[in-house]
Parts: sequence; C-alpha cells; structure tokens
Amino acid sequence: MEVGLTSTIPVEIILAAGHTPVDLNNIFVVSPQAAQLVRDAEAAGYPRNACSWVKGIYSTILQHDINTVVVVTQGDCSQMQAMIETLADHDIRFIPFAYPYDRDRAQVKEQMRRLIEALDSDWDAAVAVQERLRPLRAKIARLDEMTWREGTVTGYENHLYQVSCSDFTGDVERFEAEVDGLLQEAFGRTPRSYRARVGFVGVPPIYCNLYQCLEELGLHVAFNEIQRQFTMAPALECDLLTQYQCYTYPYDIFARLEDIATETANRKLEGIIHYVQSFCFRQIYDHILREALDCPVLALEGDRPGGLTGRDKLRLEAFAETLEARR
Amino acid sequence: MITAGIDVGALTAKAVVLDFDTGRPLGRCLMPTGASPEQAGETALAGALEDAGLEADAIQASVATGYGRGAVQGVDWRITEISCHARGAWHLMPEARTVIDLGGQDAKAICLDEAGWPLDFEMNDRCAAGTGRFLEVMAAALDVQLEELGELAASANSAAALSSTCTVFAESEVISLLAENRDVAEIAAGLCETIAQRTMQMTNRLQVRPELVLCGGVALNAGVHRAMERALGMKIVVPPEPQLVGALGAAILAGERAG
Repeated sequence: MEVGLTSTIPVEIILAAGHTPVDLNNIFVVSPQAAQLVRDAEAAGYPRNACSWVKGIYSTILQHDINTVVVVTQGDCSQMQAMIETLADHDIRFIPFAYPYDRDRAQVKEQMRRLIEALDSDWDAAVAVQERLRPLRAKIARLDEMTWREGTVTGYENHLYQVSCSDFTGDVERFEAEVDGLLQEAFGRTPRSYRARVGFVGVPPIYCNLYQCLEELGLHVAFNEIQRQFTMAPALECDLLTQYQCYTYPYDIFARLEDIATETANRKLEGIIHYVQSFCFRQIYDHILREALDCPVLALEGDRPGGLTGRDKLRLEAFAETLEARR
Repeated sequence: MITAGIDVGALTAKAVVLDFDTGRPLGRCLMPTGASPEQAGETALAGALEDAGLEADAIQASVATGYGRGAVQGVDWRITEISCHARGAWHLMPEARTVIDLGGQDAKAICLDEAGWPLDFEMNDRCAAGTGRFLEVMAAALDVQLEELGELAASANSAAALSSTCTVFAESEVISLLAENRDVAEIAAGLCETIAQRTMQMTNRLQVRPELVLCGGVALNAGVHRAMERALGMKIVVPPEPQLVGALGAAILAGERAG
C-alpha cells in the first residue's frame, strides 16, 4: 500500500510495515502538470493566498488516488491540517503526526508509537529498518561531503538525493543503486571552479530551475540546510527516537540557527540564500536569520511551481556580483 | 579611455559616455524605454555620443545594465544595476555607504564598503509600490503632473493616511479620499510618506550607514526626499542627475574591466 506523507516523518515505521512511502511534495513538484495541480485546487475552492505546496499536494492526493496519508499537523504547516480536512468526503485515511515544539522525548516517542499502531507496524522492525538505512544515509552524507569539501558533486545533485531521503523514492534498493552510480561517477570528476560558495536554507524550492540557474551564475551550493536534515545525516549514529529528536526542521528555529551557523563556518560559505514560500509563516524567520548570520543573506520568495522569474534571476545575479566583490 | 554605460530601465533608458581617465562625463542621454529595450539602448547611446560630439568607434569599452541589459547589442559586459548604482554613487560621493535607488519599477537599497563595492542589498520583490510607477499612477489619479507632486506634497500642512502600499489599492484609496474632498496636497504628502515607509521596510533589513545617497528618478521628488529623511532620521544626498547614476556606474565598471 502507498502511504502518502506531507513532510518528513519516521519513514522507517512505514517501511517496517511493508508499505511504500510517497512524499507528496516530491511527486507534486516534479510533475509536468505541477502548475495545473495548483490551479485545480483553486478551482476546488482554495484561496489565492494559500501555499502552493498545500494546493499541489491536495490535487496530487486526488490525482494519484492515495488512500492513506500521514499528515504532519504540528511542526510543518498548519495549512496542511486544513488541506486534509477538505478531503474528508473522499474516503481518505488521515493519520496525524505532531512534532512537539519543545522536542520532548516522551512526546516524540508517543507520536511514533501512535504511527506504529496506526500502520500496524512494529518498533523493533522499525529499528531494523533504521539499521538497513544507516549505510545508505552514510552514502548520502558522503555525497554531501563531495559537494562541499571536494566540489565533485553539484549542488543540484546533492539537493536531489538529499530531498529524496524523506521516502527514498519509494524503493530503497533502487534508490541506493542510483546513489552508488553517482558516487562512482563523481569520484572520477574534476572539481569545478566557481565565483562563490553559498548555502541554501529554508524549505526546498518550488522552482524547477533554481539550482541550474545558480550553477550558471557560478554559485556553488555547498550546503542544503533542510534537505540535509531530511537525510538524518547529522544523527547518523543515534537510536531511532533520538534521530527524530535531533532533526531540526519541525521544532524551534534556534537549533536550525546553530546548525546553519556551524555549517556556514565549516563549509566556508560566503553567502546564504534563504528560500521562503509565499504565504508561509516561515518568512518571519528571515529576520532572525539575518540577525544571527555574519554573511550576506538573500531572501528568495517562491510562489507557484515553474521557472524563476526575471526578477528572481536579477536578484540572484546581483547577489553573485556582491559575493564576488567581497572576495 | 572613452567608455559607455547604458542603463535600460523599465520606464527610461539612460546612457553616459565617460572619459574614464578623468572621471568626467562627456555626454548623456535619457529617454523613454518604450516597447523595445534593444532599440532604446541603441538610441540612448547614440544620443549620449551626439551629446559628447563623438562617433561610435570612440567607445573603447561598454557595459549595459538595467532590466533590459540582456537585449542591448554590441556591449562588452552586462552587469546588474545593483553593482552599477553602487559604483556610480560611490564615484560621485566616495563617502557614500548606503545607496537607495528608486527607479521606474525597482526600488533597491545597497550597502557599500569603503572601496564602493556592494556589501549587501535589498530589492523590492513582486510589487511596484514605492517606485516611479507608483508615483506615476498616483499623479494621474490626482490629475497633477508628475513633476508637480513633490512641491505639492511640501505645501501640505499634514499628510493623509494611506493604509495600502499596493499601487492598485492605493489608487482606489486616493480616489476615495478625493471623493471625500480631502486636500490634494495632503494626499500627495501621504503618498510620499507611503513611499518612505515602504523604503524603510527594505532598509530595515540592512545596516544603513551615512552618507546616504538617493538616486533614480524618484529622487527628483522633493516630497519623497524629505519624507525619507524624516523616516530614516538622517540626511540624504541627492546627486545632480540622479537618474543617470546607474549608467555612470556602468561606464566606470566598463573602464575598470577593460583595465
């Protein structure tokens, strides 16, 4: 059975139950009809000023006939809660998952226990899946290292494989074979030269060509903040519960800030691109980020799926020139 | 070395022909962009050359900037207006550490280092509020000439409160205020305050340091200039010919790149 998910959750539990995880964000954003999916949701009554990810996921659930969805009702986006409630008449099973704001261990464990119960899964089996995934997650961490330390993996490739760790594209074995292939290929590459090293922070972009555009401008994306969190690489050696406690994204901003500041220094980042989604509460974090970081920050706001606008490209080009001038 | 800077903006195209070695502009041209950025860039450069009394082959290096920079043919480099405005303002005033450019559809604030290179910047995004286009629409709604708007605002005893910075909604708000027989000068003053507040939203994200240079066509509006000085709490310098700062910076960068 396919189990849709609206954000990263303990995927080990879904796999341990023998189900196929489907990250609805990923299948929405790579769909050639992504823009139409948003319009379909609006035709169904969604307001213009609702998040396009939420609208796209709504239409994706219907289009792909997904009957079971794990919805992150706390720690991701409250619009998702309303989204799943608009599907109440569609015979879709909705399993809530709530990350507690204060990352309380007992509460995280209780949420995982409930998910296990809802999917008829098993804690020990989930731990066994975690062990199975550990070497794969380590390979993804190696790809990340080859991106920022060696420059042989592009920012886009790193993004693509990191962001896929929420569901491993539904097929762990095939995904791992792809990762192995890229690792092998990248070992033979010569590092590229670039104008500046940047970090990408915030939720993954809704734009289809952002990374390509950054590469054309000579900006090497040496850090993908949230995507790296999806890989669980920072908690690679931890037990299953701790792994999801260390995951920064669904809790407060402060652990994220610490992670971003540490990696900015480690990876010698010269600037940060803070991606924000239109109508998302996380836009407010831009202010906190700027206060906390000691390098130029460009806020890039995306609304609908598709390519970057001319203004976005201008702002990115000016950012590249600014970073180059600071060298 | 003779260089040229061509700034094709959303509303106007500007060109400066520069004696790079002395830093002295030899010719300049400002004209409406119209529907063809390529044609506008070509015509503006021809106008600046004519003003300088030079032929096209006198230009040894050139840079195009502005939203239409990609369409301008025959230039050596294309550089964004952020870098060009920074360079132009710093050339005119080496003490400048902040530049605010309020153009036709762009508003940008740039922090400079001591050498005139951009340290950080902010731009308006997805909204023309606080730009020349905003003033143009509002002047039409008030039935006054764009050039008169600044002095009209200066003559007001108080500023009308406008709750919206959106060009479309602000226009309907202005129409409502006119229907209530509010004084036109007070509405004009309110519009200038709105632009200042909108610009503040941008500068709040940066470390604004004096000296502060205001350029772009909106800098010619005395009402906006004064409202911004009040909002930012610091003196703001408007250079002569503030619309040409980007083209001047482009001409300087052309000389620097040509080495």
